[in-house]
Amino acid sequence: MKNLFKSTLIIALSFGAFSCTDLEEEIVDSYTKSITPANPGVGTKTNVNKPTPNDGLGGAFSRVLNGTGGHGGYFSLQEIPSDEVVVTQKGGDWYDGGELIVSHQHNFRSSGMIGVEGAWNDAYGGIFQCNDLLKEAGLPLEKQAQLRMLRAYFYWRLLDLYGNVKIVTTPGVDVSQSNRLAVYNFVEAELLASITDLPAGRGEYGRASQGAAYALLARLYLNAKVYKDLAAFDDTDLQKSIDAADMVINSGNYSLEPDFKKVFSPDNVENVEHIFVAPFDEATGTGMQFPYMTLHYPSQLTFKLAQQPWNGYSTLEAFYNSFEDADKRKAASFISGPQYAYNVDPEVKTPILDLAFDKADPDGAPINYTPFVNELFPNGSRQGGARLGKFSFKVGQNPDADNDYPLLRLGEVLLNRGEALWRQGKTGEALIEINKLRARAGVSDLPSISSDGGDLLAERGRELFQEALRRTDLIRFGAWGNAWWEKPAHNDPNKNLMPIPNSAIVAATNLTQNPGY
Amino acid sequence: MIRLYLSIRRYTIFVLLFASFVATAQERVVSGKVTSADDGAGIPGANIQIKGTSSGTVSDADGNFKINISPNATLVFSFIGYATQEIVVGTQSTINVSMLTDVVSLSEIVVTGYGTQEKKEITSSVVVLTEKEFNQGNINDPSQLLAGKVAGLSIYNRGGDPNSNATIRLRGISTVGSNTEPLVVIDGVIGASLSNVDPNDIESINVLKDGSAAAIYGSRGSSGVILVTTKRGSKRGGAVGFEYNGYVAAATPIRMQPNMSAGEYVAAGGNDLGSVTDWQDEVTRTGVSNVHNIAVSGGTKSTTFRLSTNFRNINGILEKSGFDQINTRANLSHSALDDKLKVDLNMALTNRKSNFSFNDALRYAVLFNPTAPIKFDNGDYYQAILFDNFNPVAILDQNVNEGKRKNINYNAKIDYTIVEGLTATANFGQQFETNLNGEYYSRNSLYRGLNRGGLARRYTSDRQFTLFEAYGTYSKDFNKVDLSVTGGYSFQEDQFEDMFLEFGNFPSDDLGYNALENAGDRLSGLASLVNVNSSASPKNQITALFARVNLTIDKGIFFNASVRREGSTKLGEDNRYGIFPAAGVGVDILHYANMNSFKALKVRVGYGVTGSLPGQSGLAQDLYTYSFNQGGNITKTRDANPDLKWEQKEEINLGVDFGIGTHLTGALDVYTRNIKDFILEREVDPAVYASGFRFENAGKLKTNGIELTLNYNDINLGQVRWTPGIVFSKYNTTLEEFIVDKQVRGELGAPGQNGTYMIRVAEGEKIGQIWGPVFDGVEGNGAPRFKDLNGDGQIISAPGQALADDGDFKELGQGIPAAEFGWTNQLTFKNWDLNAFFRAAFGHSLVNSFRAFYEPLDPGAINSYNRIQTDKAVAGLTSAQYSSLYVEKAGFFKLDNITLGYNFKTSSTAFKSIRFYGSVQNAFVITNYTGVDPEPQLADIGAVDNANFAPTSLDVLSPGIDRRQSYFQSRTFTFGINIGL
Repeated sequence: MKNLFKSTLIIALSFGAFSCTDLEEEIVDSYTKSITPANPGVGTKTNVNKPTPNDGLGGAFSRVLNGTGGHGGYFSLQEIPSDEVVVTQKGGDWYDGGELIVSHQHNFRSSGMIGVEGAWNDAYGGIFQCNDLLKEAGLPLEKQAQLRMLRAYFYWRLLDLYGNVKIVTTPGVDVSQSNRLAVYNFVEAELLASITDLPAGRGEYGRASQGAAYALLARLYLNAKVYKDLAAFDDTDLQKSIDAADMVINSGNYSLEPDFKKVFSPDNVENVEHIFVAPFDEATGTGMQFPYMTLHYPSQLTFKLAQQPWNGYSTLEAFYNSFEDADKRKAASFISGPQYAYNVDPEVKTPILDLAFDKADPDGAPINYTPFVNELFPNGSRQGGARLGKFSFKVGQNPDADNDYPLLRLGEVLLNRGEALWRQGKTGEALIEINKLRARAGVSDLPSISSDGGDLLAERGRELFQEALRRTDLIRFGAWGNAWWEKPAHNDPNKNLMPIPNSAIVAATNLTQNPGY
Repeated sequence: MIRLYLSIRRYTIFVLLFASFVATAQERVVSGKVTSADDGAGIPGANIQIKGTSSGTVSDADGNFKINISPNATLVFSFIGYATQEIVVGTQSTINVSMLTDVVSLSEIVVTGYGTQEKKEITSSVVVLTEKEFNQGNINDPSQLLAGKVAGLSIYNRGGDPNSNATIRLRGISTVGSNTEPLVVIDGVIGASLSNVDPNDIESINVLKDGSAAAIYGSRGSSGVILVTTKRGSKRGGAVGFEYNGYVAAATPIRMQPNMSAGEYVAAGGNDLGSVTDWQDEVTRTGVSNVHNIAVSGGTKSTTFRLSTNFRNINGILEKSGFDQINTRANLSHSALDDKLKVDLNMALTNRKSNFSFNDALRYAVLFNPTAPIKFDNGDYYQAILFDNFNPVAILDQNVNEGKRKNINYNAKIDYTIVEGLTATANFGQQFETNLNGEYYSRNSLYRGLNRGGLARRYTSDRQFTLFEAYGTYSKDFNKVDLSVTGGYSFQEDQFEDMFLEFGNFPSDDLGYNALENAGDRLSGLASLVNVNSSASPKNQITALFARVNLTIDKGIFFNASVRREGSTKLGEDNRYGIFPAAGVGVDILHYANMNSFKALKVRVGYGVTGSLPGQSGLAQDLYTYSFNQGGNITKTRDANPDLKWEQKEEINLGVDFGIGTHLTGALDVYTRNIKDFILEREVDPAVYASGFRFENAGKLKTNGIELTLNYNDINLGQVRWTPGIVFSKYNTTLEEFIVDKQVRGELGAPGQNGTYMIRVAEGEKIGQIWGPVFDGVEGNGAPRFKDLNGDGQIISAPGQALADDGDFKELGQGIPAAEFGWTNQLTFKNWDLNAFFRAAFGHSLVNSFRAFYEPLDPGAINSYNRIQTDKAVAGLTSAQYSSLYVEKAGFFKLDNITLGYNFKTSSTAFKSIRFYGSVQNAFVITNYTGVDPEPQLADIGAVDNANFAPTSLDVLSPGIDRRQSYFQSRTFTFGINIGL
């Protein structure tokens, strides 16, 4: 028995030595609640263009980059169903379950459609960051105003696309769904409330200013008929739009950039025309992938791209032809015609080849982007369609582009003001604003505006191509149901709203789908 | 008495050695040799007893014996695992006995958790396989020894890449988000890695199939438990034995993808580039492998040892793929203090250098233009700048993809018999694994290096695992009741760290991945180019207390019960501990009823609860990452769930073990397993949760199954003895609850078929449904037309509408086989032995993704990509869209391995045994599947395209997709020799 006791003791001691009653999990390779980075501004030094301010708001403002210049989010959802952008199925490539075709043909659906989930999640991701920062006690009024303006911008996206959404203002606290009018009222109220404390000047790079809040208000009021579901444009709303636009125009902070191209070029940091931007940068503002989304594979050689492009997005032939040849905006917006390999001497023109060229491509192996596109599916030609070149590409482009993407710019404010005036019947005043932009583009003044506003809609298209506003414009002009290439006409007002993504409905359980879906 | 030693067979020998030689008057001496009928080798320690007396002897290290007998004596020869033989001596002075394997015997000793039991006492579903039952041929992964041999254990290494591991499933999946592979226990070390055991060193493998057996392993027993026992030395009275096993193997691809020849391609409208190249032939080869195993073993009364070294030089059928490996194992046992104290020390070391090569070369060999030359006249590789199109020979020639792995483990175990019947055991073990991989892509390689001016990647990881367990066992035989109680404590800790570096833009290719300091990307500093990462897991700890009681009542009723309480760091604060109970009862019917035709009949029922532990860490916590966007900020990547708790599996197993007549034995098991609370990352409302994701206990699975094993021992066909055996299994798994009512998964991918999902999961339905529209002919424009399945006059068949109420979609096949079947045959004829193992799986389908992308004659793509041509191709179809057309029944019947051996009978003292053998793996496959490999794909490896790096995660809910990046299956011819000295 003595042995038994001794052995038991040994075992008991061993237990003591090895036992671990404290099963705490200590995460050592990811930040947790208890560890937060000491220097949130460490990244600013490597921005190749211009650093955004080290003000602690980057977590929220960086969210406007998501989906704005890439494939699968806000940009795709706004542009692909419009009459200015198309992604054809190119044989085995770009069918992708029909997610692009359904969008182009307005067979909108709550899943399996390009961008419908991305745009939703990105907007709420941004809203969460705003809410999270706003809940901090003692946040200076100006920062609060910055965040509220930004949050209102994200809610404007939800208002414009989905309409009936949840207005969450406290992180982690669920609320019930609001209708579109309530969301409109919220966006308006938030913008108005933020103005006082926002900077009166141009504001910091990549941040909000009074000009941004007014410019968004001008856009919001111009679209009030749609957002409020009114039978006709309300004169008060139009006047509010004009007034808000005047606040921007008369602030003296912004002016038209004489060279249209420069508004969108890779070095367009703090362009005089920019009011509020998504400050893309190859290092600290990643997510702009236009070169990859639009160019054909061998165009990699033209721009010495770091990766092979995907040959997806192009423009519709009719839209391309809506530009006069003399319109400087045409050359600035599209890449078309024969393509050549990069050479330091631009006179040396070595054609780039699609060696295994497609029989649907009339030009054979040498790449030639034709405005003509043979079909939407299944065998769209690989070289068909002028390519999206407004946000121009630099040679040796890295995977992420540098061009800042104007979310609000003076050109649009002028057009909004002009349109509101025209809708008030003040065509003469309207034409003054609109012809400022035509003059810059090197084309003759528009003498008049047709009664249906078709001239104005076309002009907006030429000016604002690739800026994710076309869908909103087509709806406001009542042209959303029109037929265009490979897109049948429809008369379904439900299609003015996108379906709420099915994934959100499943995850949230308290969301009701929009009518008609 | 409960025997605690894993080497129970040797232990028995040791006991027997103590049996004294008894000699009496007027006796004479009879001598002879006891050999195994399987291989002719001497059996040391066989028991030779004079019938009706207690006198006897045991055979020596070579199987020889001498015994004094009186006239008319009958000798009884017995040894564990062999049928007992009685021989009337008569006037013979030499008696040589060839012992036959005894499959009928229920008296085998079976290793279970923390101890052993006699097989007849076991109340759960346990299968024991010993060396001679293993699969044969060129086997480099221990799990392959078992493929098809155990009813209910599915082991598939699709394609047979020598550097990839098999997928193992016991009774289907038992979890969705956690580890679906069985828990491996090697020589008592829980959670040990099979990668540090050479197949040559394995003596036996036990599979604990049901919950009542596995529950003693608690939180990780849900996917079953595989217990591996390595070979140990035997007490040869100081003698030392040598063994050499060596073979050379040659592997060739069984089937290639049926793509077009150059002539067919041009005729179909492809661009004729003037050459003829069979790309699949260019990137494959006959892979010749060499394997050598040398083992030295021996022992004295108190000490035994076995030292073994294995050399493997393995070459796969894809150019460059393979590995070189050295593995060494030392097992030592020592007993002292009148055998009250026993110490075991096991150590093993593996050093492997792999060339992973590029499976993508196989994929692009199928697609690349067959009229393209390998190189232009100037020596440059021919390349077309196209999406997802690369010269496959250039991929292999220009780039490297290598890795080194080192495993070390040791464990020391002490058993001490405190008093008769009471034993205390402590086991301490550690296991280490390090990996160091390197990839380099040339500045000229369009595949990956060109865009980046050369690209280097290095990866290293380190894993450390520590186990300490202490337990005691008390056994006592009472009047009608034999009692055994075990109780103990377990502590485990696992920690993992890794590091990854990726840089591009090198001044030259000469230094490969060995000089990252020369990378130009360092100057740009762009996160999109400089890819670096380091991570470390927390110290993942598990602590447990466990107890078990075994009762044998009246030698006919067996009762087992166990409980384990276990805690893990990985779970939510309030739910860290779980309790895992089990109970089982068995009745030996023959003990109570006389049934003439039955030689054995036992009915048993077992119930047990086990868990599953997720692989990731930090599931229950808020996690954030830092992003440099906009001057730096942190983003929440996961929302906490402090309520996260154990996954639980409850399983009931009903079984019958039977023996009919003298030859037929078998086991029949039926079971139901209910799994609840499985841990899954699910999408949550992004308006409320910042990351939009968190882990929840969300789901239930139910599996019902049946398993049958039949063995027929020793059919005599003249001089040929034939021992056939059959295993059969079938199960159904239903997803009872899930995070959504229904969902489609398993995306087909680019080019052009993103957003096309092929697998449907839905609450209340079977898992493994291959889902899609039904092909119904060709439209005028070459697009497929689909069936209006619901007859509503409109065809809703776009992939995005796969779940629409009015959608025209249906189940096109099952990813999981309806039944699996194995048929073993062991034949002996004089000195020859023949082992043939047939394997079959039925009822499963595969999505043939090569066909789904490349069979339609797309007028655009025909210039760019070669086409697949099977008899299932539809004329006029030019548009590649997933449908029933590409879902193929993949049932198969194959001769998995066949081995013919010859044993030289040696009387030489130098050689104890010599055996030559030849073996063929995958000798033939009968299937209607048109792809390269009809074996089921139990988990989805995911889509990858355009030279992107393949995902590493597996989706167990999306079985049945044959992806394009799969390796090609090979047929292997092996010639080998076994020598015993």
